[in-house]
Amino acid sequence: MIGEIIINAFLVTLMLTIAIFIINTRKVISTILLTGTYSLVAALMFVSLDAVDVAFTEASVGAGISTILFLAALSYLPKEEKEEKFNVKHIYAICTCTIVAGLLIWASYDLPLVGQLENPVHQNLAQDFIEGSRNHIGIPNVVTSILASYRGYDTFGETVVIYTAGIAVLVLLYDEVSKTSKINKEKNK
Amino acid sequence: MDNLILKVCTKVLFTPIILFGLYVQFHGDFGPGGGFQAGVIVAAAFILYAMVFSVEDCKVIMPPKLNFFLLALGAFLYGFVGIIGLILGDPYLSYDVLGTTKEAGQHIGILLVEFGVGLTVCNVMISLFYSFANFNFGKKNND
Repeated sequence: MIGEIIINAFLVTLMLTIAIFIINTRKVISTILLTGTYSLVAALMFVSLDAVDVAFTEASVGAGISTILFLAALSYLPKEEKEEKFNVKHIYAICTCTIVAGLLIWASYDLPLVGQLENPVHQNLAQDFIEGSRNHIGIPNVVTSILASYRGYDTFGETVVIYTAGIAVLVLLYDEVSKTSKINKEKNK
Repeated sequence: MDNLILKVCTKVLFTPIILFGLYVQFHGDFGPGGGFQAGVIVAAAFILYAMVFSVEDCKVIMPPKLNFFLLALGAFLYGFVGIIGLILGDPYLSYDVLGTTKEAGQHIGILLVEFGVGLTVCNVMISLFYSFANFNFGKKNND
């Protein structure tokens, strides 16, 4: 129990430190790399909450591929952010952040404790899913049986969303891509 | 990039990364993993290759046309598995009728569906990288 508290406190402190560094840094490349690190620490947080599948996704998508895609897009950005002097906009931003953070912290007092049996999450369908995953579907990983079978529609939707996003980017950029590669080929000749 | 160590390491690592991706893909029933993670891992192998060698070299092993085809095939496979169930007289996306027993049907259905997810995710990531790496945002093409 004490070990868990120490680990969680360490991870939260680490995340806070990284967040402060992200705010302070002006270089785009360090912002991107720090965001990746933040995702990795978030993945560790999910592991400590026993959500291994989510941690895996966060580590591979959040820390891995999105960092790479940001880096690929980075070459089109200026290398450094402009320094901005303190003005009225900042005061608005600080006020909004403080109010939202205060509301969130206030709301967090109504959340049930993690891992209690009488929590609402464990009351309704969870029992059926866990039993059904063993008896009906026969798959040890309950997450997969919920993701692919019980909530197949949702996952189909997610896949179609990813597909649509990919197609949208291609529609926007592919014309240019084919043009540039044609130009490159002609130059190589 | 002309770095011999990076090139050799990439050549050595390329296959194990894809193998690990396939392990994550097909072991998703029994351990953590599944289509989303596996797709991203396999895409990472191709992106690593494209970063160390060049995008043109990567287009030799993964041609854009094949990439677009697989991108659409993944989502199609998912929907098609659902339609097979519909034809055989079950609700859409219920896999009970796909195998001889209900459990076998569920296994086949989940495996196919996860494979479809993996295909789509992997190829969307690769095509995103192709687009970003090649796109000229109003720059003149000097090199």
